[in-house]
Amino acid sequence: MSSSWFRVLVAAVVAIVALVAGLALYGSSIGGGTANPDTGLVPGSDAFMLVLALSLLLGFIAYAAIEFAQTRRLDSIARQFDTRTIVLMPIAIAINIVLGQTVGTALKIPLYLDSIGTILVGALAGPIPGALTGLLANLIWTFVLAGTPFGSPYAWPYAIVAAEIGLLAGVFGYYGFFRSRPNTSWPKLLGGLAAAIVILLGLVVYGVIPFYKGDFVFFGSSPTEGFFNVIAYGIAVGLILGLIALAIQLFVKRDLGVAFIVVGGAICGVVSALISAPISAFVFGGVTGSGADILVAAFQQAGSSLIDAVFQQGLLQDPIDKTIEFIVAFLLLQTLSRRFTARFPQGERAVGVIEA
Amino acid sequence: MAPPSGNPTTLSEADRAYLASLAPQAASPYHALNPLTKAAIATIATLAAFVLGGYVAPLAILTVLVIPGAVAAGVLTRLTRVAVLISVPISISVALVSVFTRAGATVLFTVGPFDATAEGVDFAGQIIVRLFVTAMALGLFGLTTEPRAFVVDLERRGLSPRVAFAAAATLETIPLMVERALAIQAAQRARGLDTEGSLAARIGGVMPLVGPVILSSLTEVEERSLALEVRAFGRPGRRDQLWTLADDGRQRLLRWALLVGFILVLVGRVAGALPALP
Repeated sequence: MSSSWFRVLVAAVVAIVALVAGLALYGSSIGGGTANPDTGLVPGSDAFMLVLALSLLLGFIAYAAIEFAQTRRLDSIARQFDTRTIVLMPIAIAINIVLGQTVGTALKIPLYLDSIGTILVGALAGPIPGALTGLLANLIWTFVLAGTPFGSPYAWPYAIVAAEIGLLAGVFGYYGFFRSRPNTSWPKLLGGLAAAIVILLGLVVYGVIPFYKGDFVFFGSSPTEGFFNVIAYGIAVGLILGLIALAIQLFVKRDLGVAFIVVGGAICGVVSALISAPISAFVFGGVTGSGADILVAAFQQAGSSLIDAVFQQGLLQDPIDKTIEFIVAFLLLQTLSRRFTARFPQGERAVGVIEA
Repeated sequence: MAPPSGNPTTLSEADRAYLASLAPQAASPYHALNPLTKAAIATIATLAAFVLGGYVAPLAILTVLVIPGAVAAGVLTRLTRVAVLISVPISISVALVSVFTRAGATVLFTVGPFDATAEGVDFAGQIIVRLFVTAMALGLFGLTTEPRAFVVDLERRGLSPRVAFAAAATLETIPLMVERALAIQAAQRARGLDTEGSLAARIGGVMPLVGPVILSSLTEVEERSLALEVRAFGRPGRRDQLWTLADDGRQRLLRWALLVGFILVLVGRVAGALPALP
């Protein structure tokens, strides 16, 4: 058995053991749990995504540790990083930190916008460099920048979420989600649009709705629900404006790429919310210091427990935030010259134009 | 071409001693500790504060692990100021979210539709104590450690030189990017862009600023990677370091003791052997 297969095997075993042990510790019973009749959620499933992400990370660490023990190097991982990718990483991390600091913390806009650099690396260089950029970004934010005005002691617990964003961006990049597809034929365009809507609806019904079976109603009529109506109308208006803008792009340029980007961003947002909500709840009492904290307060006031309120806030904010970030990254990638993007490991697959 | 095996040249002892004499004098014995030791203290203090919870344990950790170091380094006042500045904004959020909206039986006072509950105050208090301990622990690390030192030390311990470069380069990239943003802002203003005044004007001014900043930073990748490659950046194997950071057996022992102690605390808490302190 070659040494690399041994590493993969041990990594897989470590990840599975960690997953089972993590879920057992959290009090979940896989397969055997009875779902709550009100919410349809199996007890403990609220932390499933986080435990899964941590298990994968542990598996990866086991893989790296064995390779280091065998060869005193990390060549099979380092090989994925050519010089261009390595040079891109600090710039991407700086983009994350500068945008995240100004938008999230200073302007108090209820968006994070601190992953655009990570998404760019993921798309251009692949899932592993993307994940490592995300992980490094948050660790550097805390440990290397600690003595500078840009440092934040509260960034590192979210490193796992940043890694997931880079990983997913890399996977989506590999499958061409960031490519522009102008002049798609009408049947294809409508078919693709229908598929995108089905995926988004599935995501909403199975990923988001189960967390909103609380004592509050959006678009309700009683006076105490005023605040939720403001939020609901605000989000509805924002979504409708966004959809109109997308529809213009879709139908005027007949660019199906937009549908891919929205689906990718929404999936990434839901997964991020599921991973980050337990972290926010356990570490920070449910707040992130951004403008979205008011949502946590509102959901809690409406009767949700803290962890539920954080899920409800995250599942509203994250998909919108990540979709915006994916669209910004998509626009930036389209603006960059082909000569530039094609030199990255995954650049030719990820970026470009698919003409009908 | 096969990579050269081993380092063809290594520094002589005399060269090493000369280089060490060039290193700046540490401001205090705490500053002189190995960066990994300081990072271990900060990380374990933070993690233990979260694992133990309550008020007593985090404050005890602060008193035992952080404050003596801060006093030894002579930065206690500055550290407290920095930690308060960092933890106050998020603590206000914690207080608003938890005090007024957390469900509880004991209502202290009422503001409009919001009840301030004793349970909410208690919960917010615990979180704020933990956040403050985190800010103190990591702030002490930041104030007493040259930012590049931690990365240099990790590289000596086997971190890939390429990852080390990515981490260290971030330090220079951020100020450069801010500088570039200011230059681009001035250029856009000269073309008549309104970046001050009403909120709408300020938001409208974001995109003409952010787009060029990101794009021009990205196009710099090309030049930088060529510059690095002609300087043998892609060469495999370890590098000789001109700057090495002292480490000794006592610090190694302290780090292992901290790690083992933390694991014991963690296992004790998970298994229920350690009671929750108030």
